[in-house]
Amino acid sequence: MNNDGIVWEVLNNQFCSFKVKTDLGNLCRHPYNVTGRCNRRDCPLANSKYATVREHGGRIYLCMKTAERAHIPSKHWEKIVLPKNFAQAIEVIDKELVYWPGWMINICKQRLTRITQYLIRMRRLKLKNKTTLVPIKKKLERREKSREIRAEAAARLDQSIEKELLERLKSKAYGDQPLNVNESVWKEILEGDAVEAESDVTTEDELEDEEEYEYEEETGSGGRLASEFVADDSDADDSDAEDDDDLEDDMEDFGDMSPPEFSSAEDDDSASDEDDDEDAVEDDEEDSDMDDSDESDSAKKPISKGKRPAAPAARPKPAKRTKKHGPRVEVEYETESAARDTMLTNW
Amino acid sequence: MEDVVGSFSPVIAARPVVSVFGLTGAKLDATVPLPSVFTAPIRPDLVQFVHKNMAKNRRQAYAPKQQAGEETSAESWGTGRAVARIPRVGGGGTHRAGQAAFGNMTRGGRMFAPNKVWRKWHIRTNSNQKRYATASAVAASGVAALVSGRGHRISGIEEVPLVVSAEVESLSKTKEAIALLKALKAYADVQKVSSTRSIRAGRGKMRNRRHRQRRGPLVVYAQDAGITRAFRNLPGVELVDVTRLNLLQLAPGGHLGRFVIWTQPAFEALNAVFGSQTEASAQKKGYTLPVPVITNPDISRLITSDEIQAVVRPSGAKTQRRPFTQKKNPLRNTQVLVRLNPYAQVLRRAELLGKNKKTKKYAHKKSASAKFLQILKAD
Repeated sequence: MNNDGIVWEVLNNQFCSFKVKTDLGNLCRHPYNVTGRCNRRDCPLANSKYATVREHGGRIYLCMKTAERAHIPSKHWEKIVLPKNFAQAIEVIDKELVYWPGWMINICKQRLTRITQYLIRMRRLKLKNKTTLVPIKKKLERREKSREIRAEAAARLDQSIEKELLERLKSKAYGDQPLNVNESVWKEILEGDAVEAESDVTTEDELEDEEEYEYEEETGSGGRLASEFVADDSDADDSDAEDDDDLEDDMEDFGDMSPPEFSSAEDDDSASDEDDDEDAVEDDEEDSDMDDSDESDSAKKPISKGKRPAAPAARPKPAKRTKKHGPRVEVEYETESAARDTMLTNW
Repeated sequence: MEDVVGSFSPVIAARPVVSVFGLTGAKLDATVPLPSVFTAPIRPDLVQFVHKNMAKNRRQAYAPKQQAGEETSAESWGTGRAVARIPRVGGGGTHRAGQAAFGNMTRGGRMFAPNKVWRKWHIRTNSNQKRYATASAVAASGVAALVSGRGHRISGIEEVPLVVSAEVESLSKTKEAIALLKALKAYADVQKVSSTRSIRAGRGKMRNRRHRQRRGPLVVYAQDAGITRAFRNLPGVELVDVTRLNLLQLAPGGHLGRFVIWTQPAFEALNAVFGSQTEASAQKKGYTLPVPVITNPDISRLITSDEIQAVVRPSGAKTQRRPFTQKKNPLRNTQVLVRLNPYAQVLRRAELLGKNKKTKKYAHKKSASAKFLQILKAD
């Protein structure tokens, strides 16, 4: 039957699954071992009468084992919650383990001391708000960064801001005499209102405008993503597609940005080379448009290779449109800016 | 019980009783008295010996071809040719010519002491020893500490030995078997097996021994009414008839303490299978369980017990002083002389006393003093 001596003989000489052999001597992995060492005295399996102090969830328990329960593994250990007060806990140990071997009582008390100490330390550490180190994942960072850039480009914030501002102007949100508005732009708006007020005929035009505006919007905000390095190119595209109003603003911006040398030179040349340039550029742009459309159709996934597409991602221009918008002024500007762009990029 | 065997009286006069658990894991009212096997002496040395022998009985012969490495007519070239003197293959026109042969150290040579198929592969063990070992192993399975030490997860179990009602023998679905094990809190041991399943290291991988895993519970039944089919697919679980208990299953690796789940009929049948220390077994003809040489084998406990300590004489010094570290001359040291020759003391004493006496007598027997003579002669 159950016999401590035999149990020790078997576990020590044959096999014990809790024994760990190290240079420092044999250790015991049994969770209820009071010292952690593997020897006859400390083995929780080879001693019918045994006591430990264990901690669980911040509470400390005195666990006791007696020979009477040796055949009921589920009830082997009688757990007594020790009071949080250290002195009281010591008293409880003394009371429960009275008449038990002296060394066992002492070791339990020592264990209690150590456990309370480390619990105190744990609580103190938690209050310290230690900064945790988080590793930087290069791949992740790189991926997120490029995605951010692409998202920003796709959002076309400047366009949406422009639209929003124009909407507000049109809706007279800024009143009759808004500040910091280009004269020509304001005139256009006022004229537009006047035209509206006049007759129904204009509705057709407006409708067409709206349609085409929508059309542009659709293609513009559709799945096609612009190139990664978008600043100059997108302006060039947009100026062609959008209303006169926007163009003027863009032009102004461009005028500010570009280096003075170029602007002067460009201005002189543009007049003479208008027709030639615009045709050439238009052809180029049409080609590039077709390429872009192919690209976008075939690869619906974002082009994330970090490379600039050779040609700017431009919107398709229906033949009708160019006819509708009579004044050639915009086109000239566009070609200029396009030329300027290419000159800038091909520096 | 009548005194059939010597003066042995069973260790436990009133046999303890083991409770039975039902299919839901609840303790039933029925109880079974503990069979005598569980009081058999636990002999780890014997179990190891017998297990070692029994484990060899499954072996199959292996040996190289008898002529392996010797199918050449190689001869040594002798000395004088600036090559080692090992026999070399004769002839020419091929790589093989001139290569060393025959030695265990040569490439393509015969191995040292080639294995022979007539090696004694199976070991015969005395029946009594085998029975003793099996009884020990069964007894060890009733000790919770040994079962837990062997590595089985039994911390949730309600009783050791674990006995289940007879209904378990007619289970047929594995689902039911799992439900039962979970109810008994024995499923942790089965989970241990699945979690320790891994690919074997070494060549065994490609020899149909690819996986290895721990052992789970051993289920012992008396009658197979479906229980085999219910439990056999569970990893690590083994089934065995109570009349055919196998030491290789009760003490795997020679290590005592397998986790055994008994069905009630099987548990009750153990008395018939093994008998008791006084009553012969029904199954093993004329066999009675071994009688322990010492009824309480816990020597250290005995020594430190009050009963013995009360009559024990006080212990000597931890380290004893060595006597006679220096040689003393008996001719000069009377103590040593007397130690060697006790009569010397008598002689010595007599000598000393005699000296005193002699001087006195001499005094008496001396011739008259000169003065007396003078007086005598003066006339």
